[in-house]
Amino acid sequence: MHLSEKDVRAIATYARIGLTKAEVVSMTVDLNNIIESLKPITEYELDGVEPTFHPIADLSNVMREDVILSGLDPKTALENAPSHRDSAFKIPPILGGGDN
Amino acid sequence: MTRSSLSSLTVAQIRQGLLNGEFSAHELAQCALAIIDQRDTQVHAFLEITDTLAYQAADRVDAMVVAGDQLPILAGVPIAFKDNMNQLGTHTTCGSRMLEQYVAPFTATCVARAIEAGGLPLGKLNMDEFAFGSSTETSAFGFTRNPWDLQRVPGGSSGGSAAAVAAGMATITLGSDTGGSIRQPASFCGVVGFKPTYGMVSRYGVVAFGSSLDQVGPFGKTVADVAEALNAITGRDPQDCTSQEHQTDFSANLDQGIKGMRIGIVPAFLEASGVESEIISATKKAYENLERLGAKLVEIELPNANAAMSAYYVIGPCEAFSNLSRFDSIRYGYCHSDAATLVEQYEQSRAHGFGPEAIRRIMLGSYLLSSGVYERYYYPAQQVRTLITEDYARAFERVESIVTPVSPRAAFKFGEIADPTAMYLSDMFTISINIAGNGGMSLPVGLGETSGLPIGVQIIGPQFKDENILRVGAALESCYDIDRLAPGFSAAGQRRGYSDSPRFAAELASDLCPAASTEGGAR
Repeated sequence: MHLSEKDVRAIATYARIGLTKAEVVSMTVDLNNIIESLKPITEYELDGVEPTFHPIADLSNVMREDVILSGLDPKTALENAPSHRDSAFKIPPILGGGDN
Repeated sequence: MTRSSLSSLTVAQIRQGLLNGEFSAHELAQCALAIIDQRDTQVHAFLEITDTLAYQAADRVDAMVVAGDQLPILAGVPIAFKDNMNQLGTHTTCGSRMLEQYVAPFTATCVARAIEAGGLPLGKLNMDEFAFGSSTETSAFGFTRNPWDLQRVPGGSSGGSAAAVAAGMATITLGSDTGGSIRQPASFCGVVGFKPTYGMVSRYGVVAFGSSLDQVGPFGKTVADVAEALNAITGRDPQDCTSQEHQTDFSANLDQGIKGMRIGIVPAFLEASGVESEIISATKKAYENLERLGAKLVEIELPNANAAMSAYYVIGPCEAFSNLSRFDSIRYGYCHSDAATLVEQYEQSRAHGFGPEAIRRIMLGSYLLSSGVYERYYYPAQQVRTLITEDYARAFERVESIVTPVSPRAAFKFGEIADPTAMYLSDMFTISINIAGNGGMSLPVGLGETSGLPIGVQIIGPQFKDENILRVGAALESCYDIDRLAPGFSAAGQRRGYSDSPRFAAELASDLCPAASTEGGAR
């Protein structure tokens, strides 16, 4: 499978990474090289082999008691935010124009 | 106390010194910070020094000594943490511009446990960006240099953690290992590095790379030190539902020897292409020593080990793509502030905040998880994972541990491996146990006959039998008279004739620690 620059631009859009034209060119080369090196995974005889999505076999889901525990207070939670107002994160417009 | 004497102290010696009144924890902190102040200008293992936190921890330990309380496991031990571990009030950058300004609002469980155990937290350690790398060259904040040869990499991604121990700047450090990121730098820097079985150490508060692969573990100069660190940090944590309860005392059977123990060796690993001859001969010498100690060597096969590499470079980037989607420039992290729309802010912030290798892995994961591609790569990779796990389970029916090389070569020079796919081969022997979940340790077994650089072997155990690994390691360690501090950081290095890189020889002449005058002098 060979990725084109158009494919790479689509992948970048999906990953929310704004690549420049030059970066798309070099990324296309890099990704194709890496994907080529992954080829063995496509050539294994794997019929009937169950996948293992997690290394520890007998883990089961853990539920805790439904009680309120303390978490970050809003002031602390906002301290690393690049932009905030009152007790909310502030972002650019998502519906076009107007007040943030 | 002298600088080199603190650098060479073990966990047990620090404890004994505190109990005997030879030094206080405050003096230990002063001396450790002075050592960092002097040595880290060359090594650059630290990204942040937390001297206030170190002195606060020292005061708590000294109060316990005065009160005659039982001292906790790591009392007075100078410790430091890889910079992907949140520690309240410290920067936690992951070696990335993305998190350059981020200050942790909470503390990772492994960090909290190491400090509760009496460790003196000295600071945060350099790493490959988001742990993507095998050389620490992808850090946005500059290279860490290998204390054995400043022109060479310390390995990675936990390069700062390994270099800090090798240069005598910390007694115990914590790192994380997703495909070899503890074991390979430990091997490159000539120290002991332990990746526990997945689930032994809580991952809560450690910035995630590959959630089914990541595991936190310690670095130290000796197997006994690493065992004590494991006693401090392992165990169930309600904040990480994959963490496991256990009753193991990791220090308990270190002196039991390995007489009669069946140890697996993998001949195919030594015949693999790209493995340098000095690695082969150091590994074979380790095998001879294991036999001399009474172990029975058993040849085993791991027939699907070859597939581990490609399975890892499918699973790892897919999990990284998912984990790194949290960097949205809104809640924390770098923000490209002049974006006109939300989507533009996402795209520009991530393009400028992440470095090239992080972007490469995110892009790869994004592609591999896309419709139609998932079935071709991701699903088969998880099927291969089953085969690799079964290989190890079968092997451990016949043996109690397995010993292999750590890395196909010793530490390389900066810039020597520029091709990403070639760099990925650094992890050819370490990756499969992250896939299978088993524990593994890198133990130094001498210097390469060609390079003169440290070489480690990897000791692997069955899942949740990490004490087997330590027992083999402690026995094998006794065969080698190796100073774990790099030459120039240890007076013994000169005595033993490791004079190839005596870059710090002058420092040995001025060995007295100016403890009385250094408080507040560290960064």
